Amino acid sequence: MAGVTPLFDAIWNDYLMWSVFVGAISFGWLYHHSYFYRAKEGEVPNIDGLEVGVFPKEYDNLKLEVTWTLLPFILIVWLTYISWAPLDAVWSQTGPDGYHGSECQEGESSNNYFDSDGYVRSECYWEIDIVGQQWFWEFDCNGLSEDLCSTDYATVEGELKPLLTLKEGETYLAVMNSIDVTHAVKNPDFGIMEDVVPGQETYLWMPAVEETSFLMLCAEYCGDNHAYMTAQITVE
Amino acid sequence: MGGSAVSRRLALISLMAIAMIVVPAVTSLPSGISGVKDTGCNCHGTEADPSVTASISGLPSSYNASETYNVTVSFTGGPAIDGNANLGGFNLWVSEGTLATLDSSTQLWGPNEASHTTEGNDQRSWTLEWTAPVSGKDVDFILHTNSVNGNEGDGGSSGDMWAKAQVEVTGFGGELPEADPFKVLATLIVVSSVLLSIVVLYVFYRNNPEGFEWERFAPWITEWLTSTDHKKIGTLYFVQGLFFLGVGGIMALMIRVQLATPGAEFISQGYYNQFFTLHGTTMIFLAAMPLIAGFANWIVPLQIGAPDLAFPRLNALSFWLQPVAALLIFTGVFSGGGADTGWTGYAPYVVTENTHAGVSMWAAGQIMLVASSTLTGINFLTTMAVMRAPGMGWFQMPLFTWSILVANLMLFLSIPAFGVGLIQVFLDRTIGTAFYDVAAGGDPLLWSHLFWYFGHPEVYVVIVPAFGVISEVIATSARRSIFGYKSMVYAMAGIGLVSFIVYGHHMFTSGMSPTLRFVTMLTTMLVAVPTGIKIFNWLKTMHGGSLVYRTHTLWTLGFLVTFTLGGISGMFFPSMALDVHLHETYFVVAHFHYVLVGGTVFGFFAAIYYWYPKMTGRMLDERLGVLHFLTAFISYNALFWPMHRLGVVGMIRRTHTYYITTDDFQALPEWAADWNMLISVSAFLFFASNLLLVVNMIKSLIRGEKAPADPWGGWSFEWMTSSPPPTPSFDPHNLPELKDANEHVANEPSRLGQMFRRLMVDDDASEGGSH
Amino acid sequence: MSADYHDHDDHHPSPWGPHDWGHGAPHNSFSPLIMSIGCGMFLLMLGGLFSFGEYDGRYLPMIFVSLAVIAAALIVWCRQDMSFDGSYEPRAVGVPFKNVQVRKVGVWIFLWSEMMIFSSLFSTYMRYRQGIPRCDTVFESGDWVEGVAVTCFEPASKLIASSWWHIAPGAINTFALIISSFTIVQALRWANKPVGSVDEEVRRKRVYRYLAATWCLAALFLTLKMIEWFIGFHVPEIGFLGLHEHDIHSLYSEGYLINNDHYQAHHYVDEATGAHMVANIQVSASLFYVTTGTHGLHVFGGIVGLTYLTYKAWTGAYNPQSAVSIEYFGLYWHFVDLVWVLVFPFFYLY
Repeated sequence: MAGVTPLFDAIWNDYLMWSVFVGAISFGWLYHHSYFYRAKEGEVPNIDGLEVGVFPKEYDNLKLEVTWTLLPFILIVWLTYISWAPLDAVWSQTGPDGYHGSECQEGESSNNYFDSDGYVRSECYWEIDIVGQQWFWEFDCNGLSEDLCSTDYATVEGELKPLLTLKEGETYLAVMNSIDVTHAVKNPDFGIMEDVVPGQETYLWMPAVEETSFLMLCAEYCGDNHAYMTAQITVE
Repeated sequence: MGGSAVSRRLALISLMAIAMIVVPAVTSLPSGISGVKDTGCNCHGTEADPSVTASISGLPSSYNASETYNVTVSFTGGPAIDGNANLGGFNLWVSEGTLATLDSSTQLWGPNEASHTTEGNDQRSWTLEWTAPVSGKDVDFILHTNSVNGNEGDGGSSGDMWAKAQVEVTGFGGELPEADPFKVLATLIVVSSVLLSIVVLYVFYRNNPEGFEWERFAPWITEWLTSTDHKKIGTLYFVQGLFFLGVGGIMALMIRVQLATPGAEFISQGYYNQFFTLHGTTMIFLAAMPLIAGFANWIVPLQIGAPDLAFPRLNALSFWLQPVAALLIFTGVFSGGGADTGWTGYAPYVVTENTHAGVSMWAAGQIMLVASSTLTGINFLTTMAVMRAPGMGWFQMPLFTWSILVANLMLFLSIPAFGVGLIQVFLDRTIGTAFYDVAAGGDPLLWSHLFWYFGHPEVYVVIVPAFGVISEVIATSARRSIFGYKSMVYAMAGIGLVSFIVYGHHMFTSGMSPTLRFVTMLTTMLVAVPTGIKIFNWLKTMHGGSLVYRTHTLWTLGFLVTFTLGGISGMFFPSMALDVHLHETYFVVAHFHYVLVGGTVFGFFAAIYYWYPKMTGRMLDERLGVLHFLTAFISYNALFWPMHRLGVVGMIRRTHTYYITTDDFQALPEWAADWNMLISVSAFLFFASNLLLVVNMIKSLIRGEKAPADPWGGWSFEWMTSSPPPTPSFDPHNLPELKDANEHVANEPSRLGQMFRRLMVDDDASEGGSH
Repeated sequence: MSADYHDHDDHHPSPWGPHDWGHGAPHNSFSPLIMSIGCGMFLLMLGGLFSFGEYDGRYLPMIFVSLAVIAAALIVWCRQDMSFDGSYEPRAVGVPFKNVQVRKVGVWIFLWSEMMIFSSLFSTYMRYRQGIPRCDTVFESGDWVEGVAVTCFEPASKLIASSWWHIAPGAINTFALIISSFTIVQALRWANKPVGSVDEEVRRKRVYRYLAATWCLAALFLTLKMIEWFIGFHVPEIGFLGLHEHDIHSLYSEGYLINNDHYQAHHYVDEATGAHMVANIQVSASLFYVTTGTHGLHVFGGIVGLTYLTYKAWTGAYNPQSAVSIEYFGLYWHFVDLVWVLVFPFFYLY
């Protein structure tokens, strides 16, 4: 449904299915009981003999209670299981064990692609820097060649904003830092975000698998101009 | 402060670095430059160069309203390069009035900011038109000029020199300053307070129309100001909670008007940022918490058969700290600079000097609220531990009381961390300590940890009492005992326990250690289990029952729908691949409003319809109640449901505007604008529908039907007292005794209880009864 | 309803005090309202007095006014309690605490939240202590340049534990608090002696003298703290053990300050080159002053409580029936003592 990234969509669809399943049970149950067990007009019966000042007759059924402790537990174990694997993909480590290999040498290419699970896999990656500041972004291609990564300005709603142009098929690891307060890089088309914290380096994978051009936003409130702290990212 | 000097230097150096990388300029930046008012042209070097002189001419020393002046900006000096001596650019910023261009050498960045154009970037002098404002305020002109050397080789901007000039033109004193939205809000608050006083006077008048005189009013109002009676204090909490529910609602409406269309300018971003900050703080701390405290004050002593709380005077102190704290939190509003940090107040922004001035008092007010909550915690925990009527063991406490016990335990154990964090922030902002000063080694994540260690239990503190209310109402309405009383209690206790170890999910994307992210992902998933038990138990309670449809029953069923939806949407967040996209989007906003409005507020509405007759002795109008439920439930869902979709397509929260896809870039799809309009319209409907509740409450106070002692047929002690209950609520010398319809009598202390007794009972106390 | 509770509605003692405790639970009080206003004023004016470390004296008078308001509220509170003679001591009615005094449970629960406060302060301490490199390590590593401030962690113990004289105020304070825990127990013991087993005048004197001794020890604690922080002291010529006349500088005059981002200490001078290392020690100083200051505020709170107890003891109000009040205060006081036992090694020695 969502069309964000293949990985997001895959998990989203699983979650949506289970949500509909749980919702159908709960709401079906709720609607049935609230209609079927309604009181007759003007009648106020007293089924369990509630009486003021008397702790009511116990009404329970251990088997049922254990059932709906265990079943949801099994469901969430399953949901945890399917959420587990993407953990490595979202915050993949670098090096041969990770999804994106080691840093590319000159002349190499990431050749990234979506595998059957929707994870991005690359042969190697390029490192770029993103620095946040009140209230603009700074991209640094770290000396990569023009066709791999270039920076410029683009006009967004009448204002000049930084533009980062990346190459299709290449995977980038953004090393991020902030010089004043906490910001967050939000790349809706890559389906990811990560805070940019002063005094600390954070990392974000930016796999440019398909051609796109989108607005990168600041997703952590950072002061007056927060809403206008945008940048454009183009993959071509 | 030294630390900020260091960070300023860092900022300047990095600005320079940025400029070197991104500005391949031969002349000055060809398309002009904006936003350099405070920072200067540091793309051309960190410091202004004395060899360049900038000047502004053509301005009067004092201006006339609305008159137009021709302003010439120019500079001299700078690097002399062969044949290129005239190159340069400028940026002019003016605090009041509007600028206009006269020719194509200049361009506007806004009504109060101008720069050169590509055409005009090889001049040394430019002329513009300035129209004076009508306000009569003094006007500042800030000019930056850049003299360039035209080198191309190393990125273009090195070796350039720049200068700054500042001119002030005095105003004529003038008329009243313009009204801004916050003054409007302040006026609203003042007007509401006046209305509140009138209502107070009216209520006093209605009490005894013949005795409407000062001699009788003074003791009456003194009684309210000094009362230590749990019922009176509970009522005061209600008045405060409902008042701020309205204030927070109005702020939400302002936000929604701004967001109704993309790129709107209904309120400036400075105000927008204050509105969403204060909306959050108000709704959580000044509306939801007082409403919980109001119900807890009213109902808990009645339900456990206690004459009053354990410490009535501390209880009064808990309450009175709240309105004073509210004043502090809103102090910034009256000076035009309310807090703008978001209710989470993330460091280090919260301790930087370019936040609004109101942040200090926002922190100070919350420190007082922490004190208030701590005292409330001591009071209620003690009350529930020691003042349960004879015959009422832990596992005979009504579920609402249990929920307050669990909520207070969570609050009590978590809020000191928040308090310490706030004190650190407050001291950073006042005496100049450096807990969150990054340059001095401060750690922004430490604040996040302290905040969320409290913040996550806090959201459960707000929802758990609603669980209690729903448990009471659904059992009474279905005319049954609650299904699985003990598993209900264990589920609540489980939620309380788990709440302390899940908070990391708020920080999945904040650079926290990956191990912690993983652990909190697992624990967050666990929250679903006890919550699921509760929902299924409620559903099962209806089984074989006979559901009597009253307004509070409707709200309870509505709660089950919306809370289940909110619970399900919450399950999307612990899954990382989803969270890294959904974090900080409207999906989150939709989720927590489904839980906090659809859960907490709906639960409170059920509670109001359920206990209002007990509190006032008057029945509420059922037909108005049903109308309230229908309009509110529908408009509520129309308000928050579309936010899920907006979040998935990437609309982020806490922003003054949002971007629609253009030819150049992708952002939100076009329909997002229509949906936002729908949301805003529904927001107004939702706000208006809740006025029905206010009308209903006032109407029934004036001419409502007299309420019997037990209008709904509940079993707990509060239905034993008259409506409204006497003071003290129960005679301490003749406490009621709880009977049990079941065989067992759980009146013996547990092993743990016996241990406590041995620790705490002194010899003479164990000899016999105290009374 | 029994007879005395019928009186309740007709019985209107002044909300300014004193209470008529024979009628049970406390009656109305102006104290909470006034105290809230006082606290609000105080925080508001503190926000005016200092802004990011900059001092603005215009607000100083209002600070005193707000403190006076808080004091007035406390006086109203105490005035209402002054007539409390222990005849009304509510006890638990339900399981599991049946017959336990309600107030005692309250104090224990209160101490629980106090524990959380100090835990939070200590976790802040641990975070920074572990997360920021130590100044002496940085100094020894030689990874610094003269004139450029290094951000590092400089524990106050580096100054305080540098000599026996420096540590003397803290050490004396530790003993002062331990002794005061003993004197408060003695006060309780004398107040608790069964009626008839001791002359009432002797009891009155013993109780108030022990309480006054506790008060003095607490005041000594704060005084020594001020000397250590701000004043410093002079060591006279002693002439043996190699002790010679010299001054012990306060932390203030050593430059150990929350806003010092150019801290220089004599022990950070490279002997070979004579170069000074300058350090940004704001975080460590903030931690030291705020944590020990929070503890100091608790001691000050204790002094306020002790003032009331001592005065009441002086009037001869404590006897076995009402002695529990001293016991509850004692619980708090032991807690403050215990916290110091943690603060002292972490901030003064290590």
